[in-house]
Amino acid sequence: KSGRARVRARGMARSPGAAEVGRARGPPPPSVVLIDNEASSSSDCERTSRISQKYAGGISPSDSGCTVQERGGKVRDIMDLAVCTREKLAHVRDCKTGSSGIPVKLVTNLFNLDVPQDWQLYQYHVTYSPDIESRRLRIALLYSHRELSNKAKAFDGVILFLSQKLEEKVTELSSETQRGETVKMTITLTRELPASSPVCIQVFNIIFKKILKKLSMYQIGRNFYKPSEPVEIPQHKLSLWPGFAISVSHFETKLLLSANVSYKILRNETVLEFMTDLCRKTSESCFTQTCEKQLVGLIVLTRYNNKTYRIDDIDWSVKPTHTFRKRDGAEITYVDYYKQQYDIILSDLNQPVLVSLLKNKKNDNSEAQMAHLIPELCFLTGMPGQATSDFQLMKAVAKETRLDPLVRQQHLARLADDFQRNKDARFELETWGLHFGCQMSLTGRIAPAEKIIMQDHTCQPASAADWSKDIRTCKVLSAQSLNKWLVICSNRAESVTENFLNCLRRVGGPMGFNVDCPKIIKVQENPAAFIHAIQKHVKYEVQLVMCILPSIQTSYYDSIKKYLSSDCPVPSQCVLAQTLNKQGMMLSVATKIAMQMICKLGGELWAVEIPLKSLMVVGINVCKDAFSQRTMVVGFVASINPRITRWFSRCILQRTTAHVADCLKVFMIGALNRWYRHNQGLPARIIVYRDGVGDGQLQTLVDYEVPQLLSSVIEASSNTSPKLSVIVVRKKGMPRFLAETGRNLQNPPLGTVVDSEATRPEWYDFYLISQMACRGTVNPTYYNVIYDDNGLKPDHMQRLTFKLCHVYYNWMGLISIPAPCQYARKLTFLVAQSLHKEPSLELANSLFYL
Amino acid sequence: MRDLKIDLVHHLVGLKETAALLFQRNLKTVAEDNMECNSVVDGNVEEVPSKKVIKFNPPLYKQRYQFVKNLVEQHQPKKVADLGCGDVCLLAILKYQKCIEELVGVDINEGRLKWNGSRLSPCVGDHLDPRELDLAITLYHGSVLEKDCRLLGFDLAACIELIEHFDSEDLAKFPEVVFGYMCPAMIVISTPNSEFNSLFPCAVFRDSDHKFEWSRMQFQTWALDVASRYNYSVEFTGVGEPPTGAEDVGYCTQIGVFRRKAEAAELAVLEHHGEHVYEVVYTTSYPSLQQINYRRRVVIYLVYREVSRLKQKYQVSLRQHELEPEFIAPGNQTGKFTSDLPVPVLTEDDKAMEIAPQPFCIEDKFYVPLQRIIAYPRLGHLCGNVEKLREFLGDVIELNCDGSAVKVDLNDCSDF
Repeated sequence: KSGRARVRARGMARSPGAAEVGRARGPPPPSVVLIDNEASSSSDCERTSRISQKYAGGISPSDSGCTVQERGGKVRDIMDLAVCTREKLAHVRDCKTGSSGIPVKLVTNLFNLDVPQDWQLYQYHVTYSPDIESRRLRIALLYSHRELSNKAKAFDGVILFLSQKLEEKVTELSSETQRGETVKMTITLTRELPASSPVCIQVFNIIFKKILKKLSMYQIGRNFYKPSEPVEIPQHKLSLWPGFAISVSHFETKLLLSANVSYKILRNETVLEFMTDLCRKTSESCFTQTCEKQLVGLIVLTRYNNKTYRIDDIDWSVKPTHTFRKRDGAEITYVDYYKQQYDIILSDLNQPVLVSLLKNKKNDNSEAQMAHLIPELCFLTGMPGQATSDFQLMKAVAKETRLDPLVRQQHLARLADDFQRNKDARFELETWGLHFGCQMSLTGRIAPAEKIIMQDHTCQPASAADWSKDIRTCKVLSAQSLNKWLVICSNRAESVTENFLNCLRRVGGPMGFNVDCPKIIKVQENPAAFIHAIQKHVKYEVQLVMCILPSIQTSYYDSIKKYLSSDCPVPSQCVLAQTLNKQGMMLSVATKIAMQMICKLGGELWAVEIPLKSLMVVGINVCKDAFSQRTMVVGFVASINPRITRWFSRCILQRTTAHVADCLKVFMIGALNRWYRHNQGLPARIIVYRDGVGDGQLQTLVDYEVPQLLSSVIEASSNTSPKLSVIVVRKKGMPRFLAETGRNLQNPPLGTVVDSEATRPEWYDFYLISQMACRGTVNPTYYNVIYDDNGLKPDHMQRLTFKLCHVYYNWMGLISIPAPCQYARKLTFLVAQSLHKEPSLELANSLFYL
Repeated sequence: MRDLKIDLVHHLVGLKETAALLFQRNLKTVAEDNMECNSVVDGNVEEVPSKKVIKFNPPLYKQRYQFVKNLVEQHQPKKVADLGCGDVCLLAILKYQKCIEELVGVDINEGRLKWNGSRLSPCVGDHLDPRELDLAITLYHGSVLEKDCRLLGFDLAACIELIEHFDSEDLAKFPEVVFGYMCPAMIVISTPNSEFNSLFPCAVFRDSDHKFEWSRMQFQTWALDVASRYNYSVEFTGVGEPPTGAEDVGYCTQIGVFRRKAEAAELAVLEHHGEHVYEVVYTTSYPSLQQINYRRRVVIYLVYREVSRLKQKYQVSLRQHELEPEFIAPGNQTGKFTSDLPVPVLTEDDKAMEIAPQPFCIEDKFYVPLQRIIAYPRLGHLCGNVEKLREFLGDVIELNCDGSAVKVDLNDCSDF
């Protein structure tokens, strides 16, 4: 294929709209490729013009990566919207809202977008004679024509959308190219679309993208950011750009624009600076290896254009003084190229080049293209690799990005103001006939607080966010006594360990957890010594192994967990020696660890009242393995008693890239067997909470996972099989709710349910706020009931879900998702991060992964 | 004078007709790779029916832009205008030039300016790594034949392939506006060389909108006349070398570079109270180190970087001396820092750093004297002196009590 043709292909595929569609898999959405032309900014044109200058060999310097605009897409969400699950659920077809609970007035981050009643979008097909291949030229010719110059339009080179109908069904226009060639354009009406059409939703989203660009914001990924007001965290070399995530969508009754404050993390560090720092820190022998390990996979932003690239490799053999072949065939060194093209002088002539594989958008068989990038000209983006474990850094970022409700509201108000006041923005909206309206308020309901049931006491916690104080003197529901167990610690940690064990015994007593003296083994401070001691001393009758780890280094934790979770299945408890040094905290640390140990031994801590007498709840989570992107980890956790205090946990590694679980039938049958053994019968009802669902996978879930669950339920019993419900749980939704209290705005009270207005007409869905946000604005959890045989009233479904958020034993308080989901999440996390293999079935009856 | 000019134009118009007759052959396509940006962005060079085709490498339009770029590199103008900027291709090339502080494009096609304006906006990297000098870019919708005071005081005006689109009346007005009114220090005018057309298989003019195409003699006559009238000097050159055997036709594009003889001072160029007839279609300004917030930001990042580098070096040396207790002798709280790392060949900068005051350590605090920081060439350049540096650091970075050194925790686990 000629370089020119390749470039053309690339040029056509690289626009926001096209990229979105390119990403969509499976059934195409009921829509078309659409590009916001006028808004296809700088990078769009520059990119193409520059690309045309090179690419003869397979390699070029970096000019043809992705635009900043590119990553991400909204089409997949739209695909989900086409999955209408509610119409199959008879009991909620007419009404899916509950009625119990105290009403609460809530302000949302949703804005009315008013479209006139008779508004229509006109879709046209445009052909050129003589035919013109260049998308840009096609667009330029059409846009510069007088006939269309004052009309609101969106055009991708083939399909044209207008908000006003042209007089004729077929319109012929002629325009002249710069060379004086006359080109005839034939514009034919193909469709008239009502505002509710999914195509219109796409057009609306494009219009708002255009407007945000006019408000001097930059698109990075899906969102738009303001470079003019960065938040700097210089000690961590980070710049945070404030911005917005916005999307237009049809909610329950009307068209709404949702807007969220978002921050883009950019690093004030070039890849070259990162490499030099690293070089200073590490020994020469492992420098290249460490460097590759740390850099490959990161997204970089090039200095001279708005493109982002993923680093796929580092080529240490290529230097900036080497040459590459430009498209016109001329050989040029990287140094000269950047000097000529961008007046940039490279300072380090010994740096290697970064290699990025360019995505093949056309999906044809042509070989993958590589781009060479100069480290000096690439900025790192996103959080640094080790950041999540760097407490100081996370704190600094959280401080800036977690906006409390009032500040968040101010940001939104400013955006709304810009939409209404900015001349360009208003012009754009007006020509399309749209009106940006006011912020929407709605009424939620607060579910009543739950009582916590302990062994001989039932308490009403003072705050549902944290009841550790309320239950301090209460006995847990059941706990096995710990008679035979091991403690492995380093020599240095001996005294803190002794001290800690005393505490553990002291707090264990009142809880009803009897802790005998362990066998203490002292070892040297290295992971191998710990493993060796475990191998030597762990025998069949050992109930639990406790390891006092000298450092946070993952090699200790990972190797111990790996060995004790699958090779030699014994519950294990790892504690950082550092944690035990905090004197004042000792009692509360010991209490928390005691509770984890009780769970790992198969005990039960507390319960809430469950009105349904024979209910099994299941949590499923799917995530990627940390080592191999091609392996999925599926976690499955099911309750095995009616009180919902005992759990059966399974996890499997699956060799696919789709976030869809394969093994649910096996897991479900296993769980039903367990239930049968414990309760001499099958559960009457099963409610499955499915977490970790990617965008656009709803249909696959309905088609593929629900049948697996259904068939196992049906096969389990010959007469009346358990009734099944499947609920998709999502934490990353757009809507936010804030409670108005006088002039102030606050996070809504715990237990707030929203099941109207911000929901979707095609789904049986609701929002539930079940967690406390100590800082920032709470993110409501979104529940979508995609299958429901149980026929519970929406009120009951919501209440039950709220109850389940109370019984996660690792936290003495409410959590954001139902406990089975959180257990499944914790389990998959352990497997994906540390084990990378299936934990032993022998541990399935205890919460060994807490 | 006036008569002469009109005569010349008449003469030219007549010539145009003869030329048209002369070159009218059966082909209508234009062979010159004269498609400018529109077709270039396609990466789709028009396939011309295979007659005798002359292709330039690099394409001629690029050679013309390169010529202007070279002029800019050579003369370092601050204010540059592109008259008849079209698809803003030339401006998009020139925006990378570090010397330019103001870049202006003028064109009569408003649609094209609107469409292409955003090509000139700063990119994300310009915010992260700002340029040294300010840069403002403005696109005006208007005619080059109208006077707008915002075009006064320029160092360079480019009229690339512009004049041949003027009819005789407009061509007559053009020198008065550009040379007489705007009177930039330098003007570069390019136009087709009609003598070269004999090498093309095709007819008439290279573009249907061309009102004339001049021979070298015609262009030079016109140019010399204009130059002498407005007190400019002119040199002639061109781009697009003729093929071997046809050298006598000259460059495909002929170029005149005009330089104003009088100094700007005597011309009242800075009086900006004229009329604003052009309409601003697009305007943007780049972040730069001249803007105090950007300069401050860069300084703070560099200081953090330098301090953490020195601290790290110190920690390494501490570890190496852990077994030698005399290094931190009891009573001697101030441990002098000396690098134990193998130092490669010292550059001039390194030598400057050598004589700068060394960082030191008191208890668990690590201090880097501002004198040392300012000795770091880039920071020295950005701050000038220690007072300015102190001002930049403000309350973002902690200093010691007399404000002479940056103070950080030696054992701060978060490694910045």
